[in-house]
Amino acid sequence: MDTKKLLVQLIGEVHMLNQKFDSVVEFGGKMLKTQEEFLQRTTKQKHTDETFKLEPDMVTLFSLPSALRKTVVALYKLGEATAEDLARETKRLRAVESSAANQLVRMGFLSKRREGRKVYFFIE
Amino acid sequence: MREKIIAIHSSRGGTGKTTIAVNLALTYAHEGLNIALLDLDFRAPSLFGVFSEGIKKPVKCWLNDFMLDRCEIGQVLIDVSDKYSLDGKLLIGLANPTIEAIRNMMGRSRAWEVAAAKKLFSVRTSIFNEMHMDCCIFDTSPGIQYSSINGVVSSDVTVIVTTLDSLDIEGVKNMLVEFYDEFEKKSVILMNKVFPQTRMWSDNERNELITKMQRVFKRPIIGVIPCYCDVLEANRDSPLIAENPSHPFLKDLQEVGKKLENI
Ligand SMILES: Nc1ncnc2c1ncn2[C@@H]1O[C@H](COP(=O)(O)OP(=O)(O)OP(=O)(O)O)[C@@H](O)[C@H]1O
Ligand SMILES: [Mg+2]
Repeated sequence: MDTKKLLVQLIGEVHMLNQKFDSVVEFGGKMLKTQEEFLQRTTKQKHTDETFKLEPDMVTLFSLPSALRKTVVALYKLGEATAEDLARETKRLRAVESSAANQLVRMGFLSKRREGRKVYFFIE
Repeated sequence: MREKIIAIHSSRGGTGKTTIAVNLALTYAHEGLNIALLDLDFRAPSLFGVFSEGIKKPVKCWLNDFMLDRCEIGQVLIDVSDKYSLDGKLLIGLANPTIEAIRNMMGRSRAWEVAAAKKLFSVRTSIFNEMHMDCCIFDTSPGIQYSSINGVVSSDVTVIVTTLDSLDIEGVKNMLVEFYDEFEKKSVILMNKVFPQTRMWSDNERNELITKMQRVFKRPIIGVIPCYCDVLEANRDSPLIAENPSHPFLKDLQEVGKKLENI
């Protein structure tokens, strides 16, 4: 392969990397905001990891990345839902909903319960 | 129309949301549709005043009480169809206008706001599946605050009412980017109080304005309603349709209503 071609390809890759960095930074910014709020609230009340909850009220949703926000809004609409139900509502992949919902559970915004082989997510 | 929730919202106050929500609801009900109209403006309730003539008994359950989980939505809704001789049904849900109630709705905890959002989302099932309404209209508070956000997010389509005032336009533009886009909400723009009624304007002028505004907001403009002096001066404790059913303002809203049905 000649050098010129290689260079053009490299520049293309660098551009793509840049874009990825930008979105990571943007995402990070939003996460930081959420975490800051989270810290502010948790310094006031002691918690153990299991019982700890955050409220996914609409104003808090502003500071979440839109991919997660979409899952919460769908859950408001459905009341209680499996990743499959969520995927039907948001028209995204089941795997996407499952990972978003589980992340929201870890963050303390959602709860989940198991019923047989099914896992239901809900807003407490 | 099939089971649609329409939220009427604006960036700044006084653009005509309540006037539009009320008369749109009455126009639909006049055409035979079954409509529920809810006052989500808990900070400055209006519907109690507007429908005072149609409310026969003292109100026992307010929308506030429903949000606070003290009663069912069915107990809140008041049927005013008879009063305005409508072909369809018009049920209204009133926000409590007393100062005490207004204060009570302010500065609540996040946990409560979550419960309130859930309540509002649950209205869909009750109103459509149990009461078989065709459409539900939310009148909201201007700007970004809990009751309005909840209303907009739980609706199917939002009508953002704006005047040509540059502050209104800037406000709406910001709100679209910061809020509507973030929530991927379907929204349309309704221009209200646009020209002095006495100034004649050609179809050309009107279309130019629509094209320009569509570019500014990047949203469909579903109507351009002039400023009618007699709407401004009208008696506010009785809806326009009761006083003057052939008023051009109502014709404008009929057109808006038709467009909304197809969105
Ligand atoms: N097309 C119109 N022409 C003339 N006056 C109008 C028109 N639309 C609304 N108005 C008048 O504008 C005033 C404000 O209207 P309205 O109360 O409906 O606004 P709003 O957006 O609900 O206000 P708020 O934000 O305080 O709830 C009222 O006096 C109303 O009669
Ligand atoms: Mg109003």
